[in-house]
Amino acid sequence: MGAERAVTTGVSGTDPNEIPEDKVILFDEGIPGLPDCRRFVILDLAPDSAFQVLQSVDTPGVSMIITVPWLFFPDYAPELSDLEQASLGIARSEDVALFCSVVLTPEDKDTVFVNLMGPFVVNPNTRRGCQFVLAGSGYPLRAPVKLPKVPP
Amino acid sequence: MLVLSRKQGESVVIGNDILVTVLEVRGDQIRLGIDAPRSITVHRQEVYLQVARENSAAIASSDRGSPLLRRPVPQAVAKPDPEP
Repeated sequence: MGAERAVTTGVSGTDPNEIPEDKVILFDEGIPGLPDCRRFVILDLAPDSAFQVLQSVDTPGVSMIITVPWLFFPDYAPELSDLEQASLGIARSEDVALFCSVVLTPEDKDTVFVNLMGPFVVNPNTRRGCQFVLAGSGYPLRAPVKLPKVPP
Repeated sequence: MLVLSRKQGESVVIGNDILVTVLEVRGDQIRLGIDAPRSITVHRQEVYLQVARENSAAIASSDRGSPLLRRPVPQAVAKPDPEP
């Protein structure tokens, strides 16, 4: 992979054409801000990593780092309304895959921010997903996570 | 933008299956009821925009994220070692 990786295929460096169709997750309405990005895939790029990549299949340059929020926020308890659950055909709240986007800032390489207000929820059986906006929940848009310093 | 005036109790139909009703007008607050297929999400605009902007920030900052992808699961939540 050459220097063009970050531009053409996002942080993952993966060619979307090589992604098997059964790994694709469909967001019917896209995601807030990107209504036309409907097909995504989750890439696990390092074993035992706390972070993965949500990669757009439709627009290769669109990718974001995601994490399972309970790794850092064990008490996180997002509540989905009946309507929200029904929109994804979720019968029980245990039947979902949930992850949150992560923002890095240039100022601090050891702190990242997790979007607890807008979790991505996927029904693993139908492979349909939605980014929910938990407006009244009190969960922040940017929950800081201080990562241990990595030895150079 | 299409502009319509409605009184309390009146509605607007959007497409063939979205209904917006003015339920109550009290001072400068208007209570809206929205009937839409469950696949259509409805949000207060300012909150929607916050999440949209955060998604853009996440996408933009992911370019610098390669080192992050190698970080292991935090020790505090790693499975406890069954060995004493």
